[in-house]
Amino acid sequence: MRTVFLASLRTHTRRYVAAAIAVIVSVAFVVVIGVITSGARAGFMENAGAPFRNADHVVDAVHVDDTLDTSVAIEIVERLGKNASGLGLVLLPTRTGDRPASEMTVGPIAPAEEMRWQKLISGRFPERTGEAAVHVWDAQAREIAIGDRIRLGEGATATDLEVVGLVESPSPTAQASVYVTWPQFLHWRDQPSFHVSRVAVRGKVGQLPEGAALYSPEEYVRNGQAKLSNHADMIALILLVFAAIAVFVSVLVVANTFSVLFAQRLRDFALLRCVGATRRQVMDSVRREAAAVGVLASLTGTLVGVGLGYALIPLINTLAPTTPMGAAELPTPWLVGGFTVGLVVTLLASLLPTRRVVRVSPLAALRPDTAVDGHTATGRVRLALAALLLVTGLALLGVAMVQDSTVLMLAGGGSVFAGVLLFGPALVPRLVRITGALLGPAGRLATKNAVRNPRRTAATTASLLVCVTLTTAVLTGSATTRAAVDEERDRDHPIDVALTSPETPVTTDLLDQVRRTPGVEQAIPVEGAMAQVAGLDEPILVVTAPDAERVARDGGSFARVEPGKIRLDYAAFDKNLSLRPGDRVTVRVGDRRAQLQVAAGTGWGQAGVVAPATLAQLTDAPEPHVIWVRASAGADPLELVGDLAGLANAAGAEIHDNLQARATEDQLLRILTWSVLGLLGIAVVIALIGIANTLGLSVLERAREHAMLRALGLTRRQLRRMLATEAMLLSVVATLLGTVIGVGFAWAGYETVVKPALKDASMQVPWPSLGVVVLVAALAGLLAAVLPARRAARVTPAAGLSLD
Amino acid sequence: MRTTTQATVAASARDLTKTYGQGDAQVHALRGIDLDLHRGRFTAIMGPSGSGKSTLMHCLAGLDHASGGTVTVAGTDLGSLDDDALTIFRREHIGFVFQSFNLLPMLTAGENIVLPLELGGRRTDDAARERAHMLADILGVADRLGHRPAELSGGQQQRVAIARALITQPDLLFADEPTGNLDSTTSAEVLNHLRRSARELGQTIVMVTHERDAATYADDVVTMQDGRIA
Repeated sequence: MRTVFLASLRTHTRRYVAAAIAVIVSVAFVVVIGVITSGARAGFMENAGAPFRNADHVVDAVHVDDTLDTSVAIEIVERLGKNASGLGLVLLPTRTGDRPASEMTVGPIAPAEEMRWQKLISGRFPERTGEAAVHVWDAQAREIAIGDRIRLGEGATATDLEVVGLVESPSPTAQASVYVTWPQFLHWRDQPSFHVSRVAVRGKVGQLPEGAALYSPEEYVRNGQAKLSNHADMIALILLVFAAIAVFVSVLVVANTFSVLFAQRLRDFALLRCVGATRRQVMDSVRREAAAVGVLASLTGTLVGVGLGYALIPLINTLAPTTPMGAAELPTPWLVGGFTVGLVVTLLASLLPTRRVVRVSPLAALRPDTAVDGHTATGRVRLALAALLLVTGLALLGVAMVQDSTVLMLAGGGSVFAGVLLFGPALVPRLVRITGALLGPAGRLATKNAVRNPRRTAATTASLLVCVTLTTAVLTGSATTRAAVDEERDRDHPIDVALTSPETPVTTDLLDQVRRTPGVEQAIPVEGAMAQVAGLDEPILVVTAPDAERVARDGGSFARVEPGKIRLDYAAFDKNLSLRPGDRVTVRVGDRRAQLQVAAGTGWGQAGVVAPATLAQLTDAPEPHVIWVRASAGADPLELVGDLAGLANAAGAEIHDNLQARATEDQLLRILTWSVLGLLGIAVVIALIGIANTLGLSVLERAREHAMLRALGLTRRQLRRMLATEAMLLSVVATLLGTVIGVGFAWAGYETVVKPALKDASMQVPWPSLGVVVLVAALAGLLAAVLPARRAARVTPAAGLSLD
Repeated sequence: MRTTTQATVAASARDLTKTYGQGDAQVHALRGIDLDLHRGRFTAIMGPSGSGKSTLMHCLAGLDHASGGTVTVAGTDLGSLDDDALTIFRREHIGFVFQSFNLLPMLTAGENIVLPLELGGRRTDDAARERAHMLADILGVADRLGHRPAELSGGQQQRVAIARALITQPDLLFADEPTGNLDSTTSAEVLNHLRRSARELGQTIVMVTHERDAATYADDVVTMQDGRIA
């Protein structure tokens, strides 16, 4: 049997490559995740240790959960002078050029050059008060150059500083946007956000104050790391879920590939039995082949994964410089894990088909031509089980929706999906026939080919079905969540940008300029008057905006205030507002007064909105004091706000914007969705390899048929098109079915999870995206057919006919 | 001689050679064949295994390119056609019957018969359907048209294959060991059908066989030996 085993491995190498590729991709996926996690952890270790450069000790609180008292830390730094580097931050409003003020973090640099941990990119470190170094990213974002002046702080503590250098800081924990000398830093010690929580010390520390303790830098970093690494492990866990999906899909693909392979070799096996091999010997030989394929493929997958992982680390570092990764150690447990997964997947996937192999009778070898079993009966048991799973699953989903239970939803979803997979052999060929009928007579041969072996058809499409279902569910789920979040945000932030000029009315010239600014879709003047509101220290603008719907994201409902009421932006007043909604207040403009009831809202800045009638009651001559702006879709928020701030500054107006926060949120959601889709993409690739496999093996099986068709007058192009159509039918049917199930799952998820959490959410189906998924699947189906079709078309009819 | 060629010769080969492989491993399957196949005649090419009879058929039918010499079928020099043109030529001018029937397992007998028309992109119109029925009647498979090949006997499958070969009214019909997989009674039936096709429909038929009995049904017999006509 040894000779047979070796010979068949040799002979069928090409066919086994098909199965091996699926295994290689999933093993490599697992290993890449391992390498990247290891790199991320190494990056954390390297960077978190940076602030303790050349230090012998770190002073921090005795207990991990406590923080070192700022005055204690300052005392140590002052006492040790050049041998200490305090690590702390203060948050200060910063004005650069004519941009609006915004909060920036400010940190100290060490007095001793050897202890400075920031990397100097250009210029020099600040040497005296009045000088500052700016982090390169902030310098880039705000267009700050060496020699510029920036103003930090407000009122009495405001200081003008000259930028003398640009730095980069590797530590995520001690990173600041602006660095200044220690004495300059102490300048803001009375600010509420000012703190110094750690001190790096060179040489002897001397007497330690109460509550402080000494740590060695290594020990200190390691302790701090435990928390941060948890984060990296969490991400690795999420990635592993996707790896599990990829592994599941590759089990489907490999099992199918093996069963096609063995079906083709049934006569060989029968022949072996004829010449005296026992069932056991045949079985062992087949299993040894699977094991050999498993070992080789897993090994290749591991190597590919390691190579890819190490290649990806510098790429990620270039693309995302904010989270630098370090030199990854070889993550041995991950490598062993990946290898084992690959081997087990292969053995498991070959188990079922091998059982069918031993049932072959020796006589099968003696029969001239085994007829293709056009109708593999779908077992009654299988159908019954499928029906049971479907019904149970649907019932569970129903209960889950009523009770808002995520666990029941997942169980129900899993059960429904298993039911659909079991129904496959009965369901998928029917769908293929229906879809194929749309192609007319041209697609007739392809359709018949696609469904000639229902079980194989179903198994081939199953893997793609899994991927498309998940992709569609994710797309629909994120569209729904997003719509809900958007709606909530539109309500909370109705106005994109508000220009307010309390002292003088805004001119029509300014309004024109605003309207002409690129990125402005619409801008309206809002009329009002300065008013004293009882309970507020300073006068505010009281405005009315009957045409707010022209710019408001919420359709203008925030500005529709009943007469006798005044609506205040609670977010704009922070916690300083002592008025509660429902309070009655006296509002006074000049010598006219009105008793108004307070109503709450958010998102348009420090102005009270009233009905036109109420404003008329307060003043006869309202003037435009505010311009409300709606940004056009796709406008760059940073640029637009910068431009408007320039206009506002020149006119002595203030600016209030919701755009930048919105853009950040949008980007986060986008990154999340795309990452998930990218990860699912790997599973899709494996599924497509599966389709290519089945098609490739079917092509080998049908070589004679193809030769005959060619003899009868089928051109090469027609043959290629026939095979491409077959692959496309399979992938499109899997995709359509997957889309329907995926949208169904998303609906269940929406009813169970989203609706209870966001009360105004409504189901959103992203039709264009789903259309793209179907289109991509069809194209990918075509792609999967390219190689098999070319191989099939290359054979000359004479050669194909003399095959046996 | 040359003048009568056009009128009565359906296909001809001149100094036809075919070699496989290179160097020491070179095999000369055909060593200079000159042959005229006359219109409306049933010709049998006979010879033992390895005599080159199948290769000759493949070259005459445009399934394989010759190494040297020319093949002319219905006035067309096959050597001048590229793969696509040759394929379309086969579709329009040549029919095949194979030893192992080679019906498509997923199509019914009726669908198999009209398959060559479909490959040509022609709609199965009433005339074609009528012809298919006529052929099925003549060949005695009219009542089996809705069945798949797996549900037919060997003889029935081969008769369906003959109907498929005749549906396009080809200039030449090639039959490669058509009785190789059949018992003697069924063989006789199939051979009778072939002979009737030649006599009644005027169909030119070339049959490759190594069975002397089969060859007796033919009008002409060409015997091959070691790549030459003996």
